[in-house]
Formats: sequence, C-alpha cells, structure tokens
Amino acid sequence: MIEVKNIKKKFGRKQVLKGVSFTAKKGEITCLIGVNGVGKTTILKAIMGLTPYYGGEILINGKRINKTAYEKITFIPDAFIMPSSMKISEAMAFMKDFYAGWNEERARELLEFFRLREEDRIANLSKGNVAKVNLLLGLALDADFVLMDEPFSGIDIFTREQIAEVFTSHLIEDRGVIITTHEINDIEHLIDKAVLLDEGVVVKEFAVEEIREREGKSVVDVMREVYRP
Amino acid sequence: MNKYLKLLNFELNRFFKIYLVLIVLTVVLQMTAVIVECRQYLKQANEMIYGMNASKEQFLADYGQMSFVHIVTNGWFMWSIAICAVTLIIYVFFIWYRDWFARNTFAYRLLTLPTDRINVYLAKATAIFLMVLGLISLQLILFPVEQGIFRAMIPDDFRQDLSTADIITFSKYLTVLFPGTLIEFVARYGAGLMVVLVLFTAILFERCYRFRGIFFGAGYCALAAGIFLSPILIEMFTEKVYLYPIERFFAEVALGLFVSGMSIFISRFLLNYKIRV
Repeated sequence: MIEVKNIKKKFGRKQVLKGVSFTAKKGEITCLIGVNGVGKTTILKAIMGLTPYYGGEILINGKRINKTAYEKITFIPDAFIMPSSMKISEAMAFMKDFYAGWNEERARELLEFFRLREEDRIANLSKGNVAKVNLLLGLALDADFVLMDEPFSGIDIFTREQIAEVFTSHLIEDRGVIITTHEINDIEHLIDKAVLLDEGVVVKEFAVEEIREREGKSVVDVMREVYRP
Repeated sequence: MNKYLKLLNFELNRFFKIYLVLIVLTVVLQMTAVIVECRQYLKQANEMIYGMNASKEQFLADYGQMSFVHIVTNGWFMWSIAICAVTLIIYVFFIWYRDWFARNTFAYRLLTLPTDRINVYLAKATAIFLMVLGLISLQLILFPVEQGIFRAMIPDDFRQDLSTADIITFSKYLTVLFPGTLIEFVARYGAGLMVVLVLFTAILFERCYRFRGIFFGAGYCALAAGIFLSPILIEMFTEKVYLYPIERFFAEVALGLFVSGMSIFISRFLLNYKIRV
C-alpha cells in the first residue's frame, strides 16, 4: 500500500500542497483529480522521491522510498524519460540491465500489443508512440505499483483507446495504479477510487463503484459538485 | 558496484561520439602542426641556401636546428589541447544538465534506478576522469608518431632530436599536463578530480534549490577552495612560513581528500533528500 500522509509542499511562496493524505492499495486504480496546478504531478514526484516535501511522510508498503523500492514502484511521466538518441531496443536493454524485475516476455508482449518496432529510434516517434514506449518500459517491470502522469495527454483517440485497453488487461491486474488525468471520461469506468484535490488538500476521496451504485453519480458529477458548487 | 560500473559504461557510451570527434580533431590538428612547422622551416632553409646561396652552416647559425619544441609551441598543436580541455570543462556541466534539459528528461529514470543515487554522481565523475586520462594517453601515443614524421621531414643535420621527457620539460603547458614524477601526477590529477567533485556538488545545489542554489553552489566552491588552499592562504596572510614543503604537500593531500569526501557526502544528501526533477 502507498500511504501519503499529510505532505506539504511550497514552490517559492506558493503553498501548493497544504497537507495531502490518501492511500492507494495494490489491485486498485486510484485517480488523482484536480485542476491544473493543483499539485497532482508533484504528489507523484514526491512519492518517487523526485521532489522534496515537508510535514508528513510517504510510505510504500510501510517503508519510506529507498533504492530497493524502485523495483516495486514505477513512474510513467507524461514526457519520455530515456535519451531520444536511443532505439526502443536500447531503451529495453537499459531497463533489463538495471532492473532485476524486468520482464522480457511482458515487454515483447507489449511491443506487439502497441505495434512498435524495436529498431525505431525514439527521436523519430510520434507523441502517441512515445507514450506507448513509456508505458511499455514501465509496465514490463514486475512492479507492485505504477504511477502514471497524464498518460492520455496530447495523443489521438485510437492511441487513447489502446492505452485504456491496457488497464483492463492482465498487464495491470493485481497492481496498484495511481493515475492523474484530465481525460476522465476515457477511464472513468476503469478507476476504483477517485481523490479530488483542491487548494492544496484532498477535498473528497471516494470509491467510484460505491458512489455510482449508492448515489447514481459518475466521477464527473462529483467533480461538478466539488469544483462548481 | 555492479550498477555503478553499468552506469559508468553508460556515461562513457553517451560521450563516445563527441569523444571520437575530439580524438580525430587532436590527431588532425597535431599532424597539421608537425607538417606546417616542418615545411615552414624547410622553406626558410631552401630560400636561404638555394635562393641566397648561403651555406648550410650559415643557415644553422642564423636559425638553429629545428627541435620538436618548435612543433609543440605551434598554434595548431596548442589549439588541439585547448579544444579538448574546453570541451571537457563544458562537459562537466553538460553531463548533468542534459539529463534535465535535453529533449527528454532522463533524470527521472536515472534517479529512480534501483541503486544508490550517489552511484550516478560517482559514475559521472569517473567518466570525466577517465576521458581526461584517455586524452592524456592519446597524447603519449601521438608523441612518437609525430616525432617519426618530424624525423622523416627534417634532415639529420638540421634537426635536434629530443626525448619526449625533454620536450615536455621545455614546454610550460605540457609540464602541467605531464608532471615529472608519479607522486606529482597522482597529486595533480587527484586535485583535478577533487575540482570535478566540487563542481558537481555545486551543480547539484543549483538543481536542488534552482536560483538560490546558484549562490549556494558558488559559496560551496569558495568554501572548498578556502579549505583546500588554507595552508597557503594562512602563510600568505600572516606572511610567515609554518610548514616545510613536504609538510605542506601532505597537508594539501589530506585537505584534498577531506574536500572530496565532503563533496560526496553533501551530494549524497542532496541527491537523496533535496533533488528536484
């Protein structure tokens, strides 16, 4: 389980996170929702130890992030994170070299699923294909948790559908996923839990299925209530 | 250790193309220096001996024999070394900043590898150090080749043959690159490595605290310089000599090790707790 407990963060004088707390469990897809600049990406970076925070703490399976945790948690940001001069095969070889949890079989499966060619150089790929390679490199790791930052940002509808398909496949099964997205309609039916952020705090945290069954509301309905009261 | 070596190999591969260009440039510029300098000398000799009917002895009395020192002080030769030095100095910064500012932010991946983050720092520092040693080795390989061309172009009577050691002794900047003794070599290149570590720490200050970090980094460089040079600075300001040269040398070695250790310690803290991507 990922436990985010009362974390705070300032950018200059601006207090972006004023004590954010939530949990994300293995086997659940948790979606962080909020307007631009609310700190969604910052939270993911904080979980990965890529930006300092103060006040609280973040625990992954009960421990603070450390080098061994990076085998158990993987981050897929909205930008590509391997040198653009690399070929897809070289990026895969790099991952295989450094991560004990690299699953070559799954990587091949994803390569085929996304119809990518390993000999293609990353610099020459379209934004959609870069997003697919990002997913491939993240999901081919035998990690318990996957953090995805805006995986649908700026890509065409067909690629979005293909990526959304991943969420219902065995590639995600049993893993804990924390996702941030503006394209909530694309994944509303996939997410288990929504965490709504506003003004640097969690304003609402709910199980999507429960609110749908109990109150007949969609995530977007709840968002309207929270952000446009 | 294994991941550190993999990172080191990765860093060396990333610089390989630029390094290859540097090697080719060094070879071409230095060969040009040998040929240009030799041809100039031969032209002078031909003009005087055949054009002005002077004797060989007269020419040698006026111009003297040509030695390899003429070549190493030639502009082409010095440019080759200057270009390598400047490229490596720029690379000390580039090796970090490209991971944040290149088309893709590779820092995300580097800092989430399942290894101690300090290995990234150490691999980068080692890569720079090995590249410097590689270029120094290239120069040592080039010397005999260039001397061979020099001997082939200049007739025996007009030539003063010097050993590589003599050539280095006669050239001020080569003396800096190739110290006379092993201890001097280790001390000088060790100090160079220390400077790289200090600069890396300053870069990390900037990467952690951005604009404020520039001042922290500059302050850290000043502090490191102050600590390392303290025996000399104290003697300079008090105008008294407290240490014998050998004592000063050992004090500098100890302080150099302290500054290097301090840089690694601070960088480890910054990478683990303060870094921002």
